[in-house]
This record gives sequence, structure tokens and C-alpha cells, in this order.
Amino acid sequence: MNQIYDSPDEARQVAEADTQMGPDPEVAGRYERIRAAEEAHRALLARPRFSLHLQIYLGFFLIFLFVLGISVALVVNMYSVENRLRFLELVNEYVVQIDQTRRFEKNYFLYGTNLKDAVENIYQAKDLLNRNAEEIGKVMGKAGQSRVLQNIKIYGDLLQRLEKLEQQGMRGADYQRVKNEIELQLRESGHRLLSLGQDLTKREKKSLTDAIAHSRYITIYSLIFLLIFLGVYAFFLGARILRTIKRFSNYAQRIASGDYTPITPARGYRDEFTDLALAFNHMIQELENREAVLIQSHKMRAVGTLTAGVAHELNNPLNNITLTADMLLEDYDSLDDEERKEMITDVVNETARSKKIISNLLDFARESSSQLEPLDLVQLLQETIDLASNQIKLSGIKIELQATDNLPRIHGDIQQLEQVFLNLILNAIDASPKGSKIQVIIVPADDPHYLAVKIIDFGSGIPCNILNSIFDPFFTTKGKGKGTGLGLCVSQGIVGKHGGRIRVSSREGAGSTFTVTLPITTIPAEIGAATDSRSNISSFGSPGPQA
Amino acid sequence: MKETTVCILDDEPIVGDRLKPELEDDGYSVEVFTDSASALNRLDETCFDVFITDLKMEGVDGMGFLEKVKEKCPDSEVIVITGYGTLESAREALIKGAYDFITKPFRIGEIRAAVKKAKKRAKRNIA
Repeated sequence: MNQIYDSPDEARQVAEADTQMGPDPEVAGRYERIRAAEEAHRALLARPRFSLHLQIYLGFFLIFLFVLGISVALVVNMYSVENRLRFLELVNEYVVQIDQTRRFEKNYFLYGTNLKDAVENIYQAKDLLNRNAEEIGKVMGKAGQSRVLQNIKIYGDLLQRLEKLEQQGMRGADYQRVKNEIELQLRESGHRLLSLGQDLTKREKKSLTDAIAHSRYITIYSLIFLLIFLGVYAFFLGARILRTIKRFSNYAQRIASGDYTPITPARGYRDEFTDLALAFNHMIQELENREAVLIQSHKMRAVGTLTAGVAHELNNPLNNITLTADMLLEDYDSLDDEERKEMITDVVNETARSKKIISNLLDFARESSSQLEPLDLVQLLQETIDLASNQIKLSGIKIELQATDNLPRIHGDIQQLEQVFLNLILNAIDASPKGSKIQVIIVPADDPHYLAVKIIDFGSGIPCNILNSIFDPFFTTKGKGKGTGLGLCVSQGIVGKHGGRIRVSSREGAGSTFTVTLPITTIPAEIGAATDSRSNISSFGSPGPQA
Repeated sequence: MKETTVCILDDEPIVGDRLKPELEDDGYSVEVFTDSASALNRLDETCFDVFITDLKMEGVDGMGFLEKVKEKCPDSEVIVITGYGTLESAREALIKGAYDFITKPFRIGEIRAAVKKAKKRAKRNIA
């Protein structure tokens, strides 16, 4: 510092003032908040990303895959049904051929008709089998197929032998014997062929029914599975969205009540809601900054009100100094040393008094960030009353401070709470008629974890119809340019942030009582919970000490 | 000629301490009070020619004292001195019969001149 000071004392005072304004408490508080915000930001982004987008797309993709699977299975099954149908036709045709053959065979033996038709039919059957050898092989297996073919061959051979026998034109017992022998074999073989065919038909019919049943089951089961899957998917997706929305609505409520702690991760992954949380955290910071500005600007308004009192009060020591200096100037020679010394001492003392009058106000006016510490509420209120003392003197009102002995400390920000009580006291002064008094009473609250400060005036009271609006922003009963309508609103914000509340009761013509309850310092952790459980109605019991 | 009597009432003791010797130098008989109660007691006994009173005080304030003086000693003149000088209080004081209204801080000369003028007026009142 290269500034030149009039005296070493002044330089020292300035230096002291500099260290008082120094970084320690307020900057530390601000750093802590910024660090908390940054930590929350980092923690929110540190998690693996699993977006809603991804979940929705993934779900639909799985559904698509599943439906694709069902379709393929149904198509394959349909194809197999088609094949079976065709094969069944084939087998039917075969059975018809064999049937025909057997009929011709029977006719030959009964009525001696020609064998040509039977041979033709058996060849057609054989041809049929040969043409579709591959398919039949698949269904019957190689062994079955060769057995059928072998049977046909045997049957064909027998027919041929019979035909040859006919052509040779043999007659007699020998012929009859051979014919009977062949007939027997033919019948047996024919029967076998037929039963093989029928067997095949039966088997094919069964597998056809199976295949159709199969496709029915595929349809039914896949529908059931799809239903379950869709239900579960909808549940998880819905729960994920709804739960988060609920969480955010809680955050919004919390923020509205003045709790500006940043949102920290609640899940193991991040998604679109994380962007929302980041936006919320940004908003919280902005709100906090704005609230600080609002509180500070309101404080400056209170300072403005107090300045009038200070300016007037300052006239007294100034007058004393002027008179003393004047007298020294005029009667210097006629005064003795003792008198001169006494008068100079007066000047010094009155200067100190002036400084004190101003310094209280300056202490209060100085901008500082929120810092919580255990506070003696009685001392705090005494200081607040001192701060307003000039104003009180100016208005001709008496102020009485009463407190229960041995009250516990409360947890709070001294500057902000002074601002709240100053605002309430200045309001009480405005409401009080000249010559009346204001009572400030500090007692334990009904809730053992709280202290209550009652500020009682005996003014005109607040009409019932506006009692509920007095905490609303921009609501004022004072004349234009006299009140901003923010005092009680800002005060309630500050007290709310401390985990307390302000209530009011008033009777028209009899005065008003404002009660501020604040949590005592032993339970800082419960502050948040306690505020949540308390509602914000403007109600109040009987005034007066309750200790 | 009878000595002119001056009563100074101000809860700031230095005011009386400084004004008393200066006014005595000018030939007045001066009594100083720092609370309105004892000044009122003295008022019951005697009327001073000139009263100098502060406005803001515990108990009966300057305005009340002014009323009492004007009630009891209508010929006396009252000079009101105050640090809380506003147009309203000045008007009120003058309406209630104050002779002068001087705002703090003032010079000793101002009080001297005011007392001198007030004395003349008070004497005239009596005559």
C-alpha cells in the first residue's frame, strides 16, 4: 500500500480494516459452495451413460428381433406343413396305385382278367417312389425306403412271373400249383405294400397335425411371452421415467423452500435426466446468486433507513466537538492547562463516540457471504437493537428486551439474522404510535429444539384480510417509495434457510406479534427434516413468555 | 437591573459545560440540567428569562418541556436546539411558541446571538 495517511493510527486502522475484510470466512464459504457445486457436477458426469434413448431403442430392437424370430419360425413351420401336405398327397397317390394294382390282381384271380393293368399300376407306383425318392427317403429313412422298394420289386417280380406263366400257356396241375404259390406270395406282398402305404399315410397325417399344432403353440406362447416382455419393459421404462420425475419434483420443492444444495447422483448411470440435473444445479447457483443480491439490496435499504438516525445522532458528538473547539479558540489564553486538557479529552472522546455510531452501521452494511456459526441470540438481538437505537430514539419509542436465562445457542449467519430482526424491529417502529413501546422476548419455543423470538408492538395491528399476504413479495402497506414489499419476503427466505420460520399474529387496534423460531445449535443435521415437516401457515398462539 | 437568567437543558453534559461559562461571561446567570425531570422541578420554583432545550430526551422531551414552560412562564423565551432537525419539528416548535430553532452542530456565537435577542424579547414581554 503506497497510500499516505495523516497519522500512523489511521494507517493502522486501515490495515486492520483490510485484514477484517480479508478472505477468511466469506471467501471460504463461497469456495465451499463452488467446490460442492463442482463436485456434484463431476459426480453427475462420472457415471456410465445409459440414456433413455438407448433403453427405448434397445427395447424396440429386442421386440423387433423377437417378432422376427416368431415370423421365421412360423414361415419355416408353414413350409414344413406345405411339404407334409405335398408328401401326404404323394403317399395317397401311391396308396391309390397300390390299391388299384391289388384290385386288378384280385380281378385276375377271380375273373381271369388281364394282368397288364396291375403291372402298369405297380410300375406307376414304383415310378412315383423313384421320382420322389429323395423326399420319401427323408421321411421314411433309407431303410424304410429300400424296404418299400424291395417290396415293390418283389411284387413286380411276382406279377411278371405270373404274366410269363400266362404267356407260356401252361395248363394243368403244375400250372395251378405254381399259380397258387405265386398268388399266395402276391397277396402277402400286396398286403404288405398296402399296409406300408397306409402306415406311411397315418404317420404323415400325424406329423401334419403335429406341425399345425406346433405353429399354433408358437403363436400362443410367443404372444404370451411378448405380452410379459412388453409389460416388464413398460414397467421398467415407466418406473425409470416416473421415479426420476418425482425425484425432480421433490428437488423443485426443496429448492423453493430455500435449500440450495446441489443435486448429487442418485443412480448408477447418467442419461437425459442428468442434463436436467446439471441444468437444475446451474439454476440453483443462479438462484443463490440472485438471492444474495436481493438480500444485500434489501440490507442496503435498511442501511438507508438507519442512516437517517445515524446522521441525526452524529450531530450530538459533532456539536460537542464544535462547542469545545470553539471555546478553546475563543478563550484559549484565559483557560488553565487543566481545563484545556479536559476539553481536548472531550474532543477525543466525542470523536470516538462518532466513530462508534458509524462503525455499527458499517459493520452491518458490509457485504459478506453466508457463514453459519453458533450464535447467542440474546447478544445478537441486543446488537440489532443497538443498531436501530438511533432510529428508536428518533421515533420516541421504547424497546424492551427480555430473555429467559441460560438459553442454548442457535445455529446461523449473524449478519443475515441481524438483518431479519432489524427488519422486524423497524417494521414494529413504523407500526407503533409515538411514546409506545416494543417488546422483544426470547424464550424456548414449544418445540424443544427451537428458540422463539417474539417482537411485539402495540400499534394498529394488521387487518385479517391481509394477514396472509404480508409475506408475499412486493406486498406493502407503506406508502409509495417507502417500502419495497420485500422485507418480510426476504426475511422469511433467510429464516427458512436457517431451518426456522416466521409467524405472525395480530389484532386490529391492539398490535402485532412476529415470532421467529430458529433451531438450536445441537441439531444442525435435523434442520432440513424439521423444515420439511413444518407447514407455512401464518398462525400463532398467545403472546408472552412460555418458559 | 436584574440579572438575566438562562436555563440550559440538554442530556449531553458537554453542551452545558461549554455554554455555561461563555454565557456567564456575557453576564447571564446560568443553570444547567441534563434531565428534564430536574429541570421541571426547578421550573416549579422559578421562571428563567431564557430557556435553551434539546428536543430528544428521556422522559419529557424538549417539545413537552417547551409546552410546560410556555404554560407556566408565558413571558419567557425558549430556544430549541436539536441534532434531529427536521422541517416538521422546527415548525411544531415554533407553533408551540419557541423563539428560535437551532440545529446541532452550532457555534457558540450562534447561541450567544440567539440568547441576546431572546433576552431583549423577554424583557419586552415583561415590560
